[in-house]
Amino acid sequence: MVINQGLSHLSDHFLMVTLVLYFLAVLAFAADFAFGKRSPAEPAEAAVPELVTAGAAGAGAAGAAAGAAQASAADLASATVASATVDSAKASGGTGRPATASRPGLRDASFWVRTGLGLTVLGVIAHIAGVVSRGLAVHRVPWGDMYEFIIAVTCVAVLFFLGLIIRYRPFRLGLFFLAPIVIIIGLAQTVIYTPAGPLVPALNSYWLAIHVTAITLATGTYVVAAVLAVVYLFADRHARRVAAGLPVRNGEVFRLLPTPERLDQFAYRTVVFAFPLWTFGIMAGAIWADEAWGRYWGWDPTETWAFITWVVYACFLHARVTAGWRGRRAAYIQLVGFGCLLFNLLGVSLFITGLHSYAGLS
Amino acid sequence: MTETSRMTETGAAQAEAGQQAAAPPEPTPPAPTPPAPSSAYGALGWLRWGWRQLTSMRTALILLFLLAVASVPGSLLPQQGIDPAAVQQYYVSHPGLAPWLARLSLFNVFAAPWFAAIYLMLFLSLAGCVVPRAYRLARSARALPPPAPRNVARMPQSVRHQTGQDATAALAAATAVLRRRKFRLRTGDGWVSAEKGYRRELGNLLFHLALLGLLGAIALGGLFGYKANRLLVSGTSFANTVTALDEFHPGRLVSPADLQPFTITLNKFAASYVTSGQLRGQPSSFNAYLSYSAQPGVASQRYDLRVNHPLNVDGVKVYLIGHGYAPVFKVTDGAGKVVFDQPVPFIAVNTSGLTSEGVVKVPDAKPDQLGFAGVFLPTAVDAGGTLESVFPAPLNPRVSLISYRGNLGMNSGPSQSVYSLNTAGLTELPVAPRPLAPGQSIKLPGGAGTLTFAGYRQWASLAITYDPGQVPALIAGLAALAGLLLSFFIRRRRMFVRAYPGPDGRTVVDVGGLARSDPAGGFDEEFARLAEEFRVAYAGETSEGKTD
Repeated sequence: MVINQGLSHLSDHFLMVTLVLYFLAVLAFAADFAFGKRSPAEPAEAAVPELVTAGAAGAGAAGAAAGAAQASAADLASATVASATVDSAKASGGTGRPATASRPGLRDASFWVRTGLGLTVLGVIAHIAGVVSRGLAVHRVPWGDMYEFIIAVTCVAVLFFLGLIIRYRPFRLGLFFLAPIVIIIGLAQTVIYTPAGPLVPALNSYWLAIHVTAITLATGTYVVAAVLAVVYLFADRHARRVAAGLPVRNGEVFRLLPTPERLDQFAYRTVVFAFPLWTFGIMAGAIWADEAWGRYWGWDPTETWAFITWVVYACFLHARVTAGWRGRRAAYIQLVGFGCLLFNLLGVSLFITGLHSYAGLS
Repeated sequence: MTETSRMTETGAAQAEAGQQAAAPPEPTPPAPTPPAPSSAYGALGWLRWGWRQLTSMRTALILLFLLAVASVPGSLLPQQGIDPAAVQQYYVSHPGLAPWLARLSLFNVFAAPWFAAIYLMLFLSLAGCVVPRAYRLARSARALPPPAPRNVARMPQSVRHQTGQDATAALAAATAVLRRRKFRLRTGDGWVSAEKGYRRELGNLLFHLALLGLLGAIALGGLFGYKANRLLVSGTSFANTVTALDEFHPGRLVSPADLQPFTITLNKFAASYVTSGQLRGQPSSFNAYLSYSAQPGVASQRYDLRVNHPLNVDGVKVYLIGHGYAPVFKVTDGAGKVVFDQPVPFIAVNTSGLTSEGVVKVPDAKPDQLGFAGVFLPTAVDAGGTLESVFPAPLNPRVSLISYRGNLGMNSGPSQSVYSLNTAGLTELPVAPRPLAPGQSIKLPGGAGTLTFAGYRQWASLAITYDPGQVPALIAGLAALAGLLLSFFIRRRRMFVRAYPGPDGRTVVDVGGLARSDPAGGFDEEFARLAEEFRVAYAGETSEGKTD
């Protein structure tokens, strides 16, 4: 099969454009924190207790129920801004609008946030174009070597992130999310760039499309979960210091981010999405290994680390529903899992010789 | 099973709804470590205590972690089962450390007793947790949800509606909504309770049982399966018998008579490589053209064996796992007799140019035995005085040899590798180091004889595996995945509705909701939707509500 060099170069250009757009998006998101105007439509966290109290007072007529409402007010103080507004609206005999109506829409977001999002969307379009043109250039799925894999993983991560902010609207996470993506893509283009080429015979199987696609999707999603875990840990620390009356820095930044509870929930849902994909990816890999090497599991270093990663994320999922382990400890476990994932991707591929040594970096 | 011994659910062992109303729905009660029984409990008490410890969630978590940590050395140190040569190399480079590592089974982590101890404990813990739960699930499969609590407003999610319809009609309307949503229903005097999402627990159990099944499948393969290797020079054949195999690793319950009696001939091996560009020399295809017959006396069939394209002979699979060159040597000894004329497989020492090394042993040569250590270069190029191979295909094949005479030491001492020469009893012959092209010879000094590099052939190495646990493992894997999806994306929840006449003559409808397992959150939204449907169904209005 002949490599289409023109398309290959086109892909490189698309990805350069992607990098520039993402970088500009990072600047825009940062600018929002630095000097974005806060539109009055945005509910500030400080306003929540008042809203709830108002709702509870309105409901105060029935004696026993008032106690319940007071209790819920205390709970609500720690709940999310968005749902709190809905609830208080309902509590005060509101119209019972669907929950989505009260979410801060894109129109409520600041100019800089909208700019950042627009640049991200343009960037991801160029990103997809880069991945697709690389695939067309080599006549196969474009994740056959390390460079292609990282480009595809970051593409999945950005797409998943966009899905997350369309669904839940945590627009301002864009900064924390895109900054590492820019660094990863930049490194991919400079340090580990591999020209488009045919596959080695070991990879020449339709299982490449199945196994590596699942792993790519799962890895991209895990990247999102890891970013959420890091932001959660900072936000949680901030919230604890505030609760303890300790001095805090960057209070303005955290006020604009989702609450720790919400971040934790995002992270959990993200892992819940990624974990079955990862499981499927390992299984598909086992079937392929059986096809290629004559055993479905052989403790090859890459297999071992995929297993370790699976076990650690399984720990995270179990920890999350076990008293005493949820919260910060679960977040740390998740990050350990991500560390294992990274070690498998980089450490094992580059430093340990195994059957999966396809990085194309020898 | 105790409060501490559940796996990922909190609902299963929770008390019935009356008490649940007060308790928060999701959090596990802070896992109390069961107090160690005093000596008065006796052996049974201790056993029970130990079992509770073992099947507790915390122990399972710690065992899971241990399993992950225990796997790490298996990936960092060379493993006997994967690369025995690397283990030998480690012994050479770390003579002090290696014996200690070996004593701790660190060169064979995944077969080590301590590794087995961790996963067996984990699976025991799993079984101790899953089996009672499966029993309980089976019992609850047809059980009705508990009656609605007296005070529905104390549920984590609740809303109060008022409607002009009478209590019976309002209740009927809400029940219709729940029935349409496929809730399991229980009705009583002025209330209805409903539950949905039993499949979550089912999925959870399926997942954990499937893991146990996977362990069984692996054991099945370990007992009844076998693995073997055979290097086959093109133009030669072998039969699948223990003596004809280079390596044979039988399962514990496999005897040599269990081997499927097929024969395989390698007619031709072909490799092709990228010829230009930055990736020049990267292989693009390997084909081993085989003929095989499944049993003696059965007509032979042809098969094009490729990587990712194994041959299946009656459930035994044959894989192409390696290839290389086998230069053909013809040796005439000092007496003028042809004592050696065959291809000798050389092993590649680098992949880019397939420079290969091997040895030729001629034990029948007279007056002295002869030995040669050689290098085969498929595409030899002179790089400043030394030859090196720059391309893996045989464009300019050369062989370079060091010649020895003396005693090969093959009749005494430990058995030798065919790929190495024991030079203890040999003396090197002063032959000019001239690389040979096909057809060229070297005449050995002192009337020791003549060696001719007659040509070369290619060889393929085949892996032969039989694993009866494969299909069970696949089924277990698919079941685990299905269970995972069920348990992740279904939440178990209950809805309660009570309707009664209010002080102003209008009917009050209290709606309560409880998610029994909802780690991802989101029940509040579903509850709001359902309550809204109720309200519309009996044309009521909201008077108050809350979410937890």
